[in-house]
Amino acid sequence: MTSTENTPMDGTDTQSTHQVQVKFTTRHPDIAVPTAPILVPANLKRYGLSQIINHLLDTSTAIPFEFLVNGSFLRTSIERYLSDNGLSSESVLTLEYVRAIIPPKFQAAFQHDDWVSSVSVERESKRILSGSYDGIVRVWNESAQCLYTGVGHTDVVKTAKWMSATKSVSAGMDRGLRIWEVDGESIGEENSEIFALAELVGHRGTVEKISVDSSSGRVLSAGMDSLVGFWTTNISEASKTPKEAPVPRAKRRKETSTGPPRYGPLRMLEGHTSPVSAVVFDPKDSTVGYSISWDHTIRTWDLATYSLVDTRTTQHPLLSVCVLPKLSLLACGSAARHITLHDPRVSASTVTTSTLRGHTNAVVALSPNKSSEWQMVSASHDGTLRIWDVRATESGSIWTIKREGEGLSGKEKVFDVEWSSLGIVSGGEDKRVQIDDSPKGE
Amino acid sequence: MYPEIDPVYDSDDTDVEETNTIGNIPLEFYDECPHIGYDINGKKIMRPAKGAALDALLDSIEVPRGWTGMTDRNTGGDLMLTQEELEMVRRIQMGEVPVDGYDPYAPMVEYFTSKTEVMPLSAAPEPKRRFIPSKHEAKRVMKIVKAIREGRIVPNKPKQEEPQFYDIWADDAPPRPDHIMNIPAPKLPPPTHDESYNPPEEYLPTEVEKKAWEELDPEDRDKDYLPRKHSALRLVPGYDGFVKERFERCLDLYLAPRVRRNKLNIDPESLLPKLPSPQELKPFPTTTATVYRGHEGKVRTISIDSSGVWLATGGDDGTVRIWEILTGREVWKVKLGEDESVNTVKWRPGREAGILAAAAGDDVYLIIPPIFDHETEAASKELLSVGWGYAEVVKGDPLKKEPPAKWSKPSDKLADAGVAAIVTVRVLVKHIAWHRRGDYFATVSPEGQNRAVAIHQLSKHQSQSPFRKSKGIIQRVEFHPFRPVLFVATQRYIRTYDLAKQELAKTLQPGSRWISSFDVHSGGDNLIVGSYDKRLLWHDLDLSTKPYRTLRYHQKAIRSVKYHQGGLPLFCSASDDGTVQVFHGKVFGDLMENALIVPLKVLRGHAVKQALGVLDVEWHPKECWLFSAGADGTARLWN
Repeated sequence: MTSTENTPMDGTDTQSTHQVQVKFTTRHPDIAVPTAPILVPANLKRYGLSQIINHLLDTSTAIPFEFLVNGSFLRTSIERYLSDNGLSSESVLTLEYVRAIIPPKFQAAFQHDDWVSSVSVERESKRILSGSYDGIVRVWNESAQCLYTGVGHTDVVKTAKWMSATKSVSAGMDRGLRIWEVDGESIGEENSEIFALAELVGHRGTVEKISVDSSSGRVLSAGMDSLVGFWTTNISEASKTPKEAPVPRAKRRKETSTGPPRYGPLRMLEGHTSPVSAVVFDPKDSTVGYSISWDHTIRTWDLATYSLVDTRTTQHPLLSVCVLPKLSLLACGSAARHITLHDPRVSASTVTTSTLRGHTNAVVALSPNKSSEWQMVSASHDGTLRIWDVRATESGSIWTIKREGEGLSGKEKVFDVEWSSLGIVSGGEDKRVQIDDSPKGE
Repeated sequence: MYPEIDPVYDSDDTDVEETNTIGNIPLEFYDECPHIGYDINGKKIMRPAKGAALDALLDSIEVPRGWTGMTDRNTGGDLMLTQEELEMVRRIQMGEVPVDGYDPYAPMVEYFTSKTEVMPLSAAPEPKRRFIPSKHEAKRVMKIVKAIREGRIVPNKPKQEEPQFYDIWADDAPPRPDHIMNIPAPKLPPPTHDESYNPPEEYLPTEVEKKAWEELDPEDRDKDYLPRKHSALRLVPGYDGFVKERFERCLDLYLAPRVRRNKLNIDPESLLPKLPSPQELKPFPTTTATVYRGHEGKVRTISIDSSGVWLATGGDDGTVRIWEILTGREVWKVKLGEDESVNTVKWRPGREAGILAAAAGDDVYLIIPPIFDHETEAASKELLSVGWGYAEVVKGDPLKKEPPAKWSKPSDKLADAGVAAIVTVRVLVKHIAWHRRGDYFATVSPEGQNRAVAIHQLSKHQSQSPFRKSKGIIQRVEFHPFRPVLFVATQRYIRTYDLAKQELAKTLQPGSRWISSFDVHSGGDNLIVGSYDKRLLWHDLDLSTKPYRTLRYHQKAIRSVKYHQGGLPLFCSASDDGTVQVFHGKVFGDLMENALIVPLKVLRGHAVKQALGVLDVEWHPKECWLFSAGADGTARLWN
């Protein structure tokens, strides 16, 4: 079909609905169609438009498409959209189309003894690292076998991350970061206990989140003591703690006698005036880190010189952050129940580029989709995960994932989420690591 | 047509033929008889022969002249027509005049002439009025023109369709011309179902109701009739109360005074003060973010540490619990008393140490929860242990009167749990207020009379009671945020004492009967007072001793009021009706402008248990987060 065939120039067209000129664009070159405006009936909805695109592409099996117009998904007919927004039906309407994604499906859940505060998935071995409120770090394989349990933390584990296939880092309310090493290849006997290689001390408050950079072996940590810690996991580089911390309660803290060797930070970065809630490395440049805090600011750190580069002040206390690498955007989840997108570059003129609304409680974790630069998933204390497309900032979330399981009230908070090759892995107050398969499309 | 009768002899042919004498009745009456009538002599006239034989006979016979084939109704015989009659029938058929010889075009005799005579009978000339326009007509035309101009006559008016049905109740009283003194009579209500002659069964009174109605005094009856059912309208008897009812209606209309009320023509919106919309005053807490569950029984008190990370609560179960504020995780707890509830917990201000003061029964426990890092913990221990020796020295002095409280070391079990010191006040402690530097704290024991207020010094482990005699039941005390001033609230008054000069500075009269709590604005010049008689009062210390503003929005007693101390212009009140109300309260720097108070939000969520709702509130030191402790056993975070 060419564009002229669609036009009613032959004069035989007698249908009552009028037609509008539509220009189809896409950001995916593999499904691109000619961008010349074509006339389509104004009463078409998503399905009809999707059929047109499929026809234009001449696809063997129909691909469902979604249509974006002015930052939101087209949910009504074109006619309705134009009249609702007071647009002229004479002008050319630009519709951006993307592959529609189908809803994610629940796959599995791994039961824990206590709340799950943190999840992390290793890229190749697809092992899941989970940190729990019982102070234990667990390593699971895909078939729900707990391979290793890491004991040693004297308090709640708030965050745990894979550094490489064999190395992981965790931290929590006992203010220390622990480095763990597991056998990446063989599956030893189930539930084998492991101990930390080293403990990194320096924080004076709970470590809320850490971020790791696998290539350099560096770790950023966010502390409730308003400090950002910068650490190395290469023990040869690490500085020994100058003095052993005073231990007044020796009988309660057994790690002083049997614990791993302790090392100090490369630098504790000062600047925030309230608890730091999350940190993240810039994926393109491991010498740049971003930290967000309850003091409403996003701070950019130069980790080579340990200096504060930039401070951006937002409207609300921020609780979670992730980088959308290809868009150079920072997505920040706030205590005010929404996600804001920020351009962290110093040259950017506006603080907030757009806001994603939909959660009904604090957004505490964010994870980008590795295979699509526009999608990310958020975890919130309202008990849901939501999948977002940053192109459709007005439409709200695309899909909402609830907690699966018996006897749940639906209000169980979700504490962490990661969108990995395994699917969307999340952990929360329901004491489970829940895995939902990654929604298809894109 | 009968032939002309020639009146000669034997012209009478009555006896000639036997004639049917049945008279003027249809012959069909005889259809079933063999005869068709009677002759003059009473003999039957037999029906003439008919049938196939006859037909054959007739065929053989020549048809007589004038035979028509029809039957004469009178005789029953064949109807014969004469030649003249046939001619007449033909003429009628042809549309001619039936009678032969009639001339329709005979010359007309002109009885009245149609011609104008050349020489008429009267030769009078035409009158003048025939030639001039008629004045009368002009008058009539002008009348119509005037009516048209005035609109009384509308030319070419479309005919108005008369409605087919009428509302018979519509204009039972014709409208009177509008006059200021005319007040139309109030209408009677239209009849209802039970006044119908045939009401539905459910409207009919039962025997009991009927009896009760009859026994009542006619004046006390709520209606003057009993519904009755009649199968048809014509069976309805006359209404015996008709005249009386009409008379009473007339009396009503006649005697009832009708007064024209002057309506105030004021827009109600204009009476409201111009307040900014709550949307412009964001941020303020709107929804529950976290629910802290764990306490058994009421949560009495709540406190957030100065870094804004750890939330401490105390409740009726005798425990003090510490929570992670966002996740709602209970991090630590200690049980202080077996059967005593924890009435108040308060973090010591300042970040260098983490000391929590909790009052259960007569004792104030100074606790160092093991949630801090080693340095903070060590600093806290240092602060609390430095005074032990000092206390011993003072005890030796016999001149000093007995201090209001005794400092003691906790038992091993409590010391293990984190309690570092116990201050025993000997009267039930209801409230603790820390001085901003964290060295002094004041306790309030409302039942303590002249020892109701005690001020305790951390560094010296000393206690003293500043007042010699009681001035009423003391409810609360607070320190001024930066001056050496102590605010003391009794049931009715709030007194401010200058601690440097040791004298009474000012007495505030909120005007409420029983003050439950108050709070001092971080600027130090404004106070909010909550009272058990549901009132929230804003005092401006520079303005007057009377409240600047009284807010009466709660349905039940107010338990706690708090200002946001971290720079946001917010304050809130918690009440037994289960709600927390959040207000915008902006204090301006210049003295000319009074504080701006805007109600923002009612936070609902706490359940009311045993007539108790929200018992305590606390603001986060920096964010617009609000913590509330409820009688339903939960604490909540609102943001």
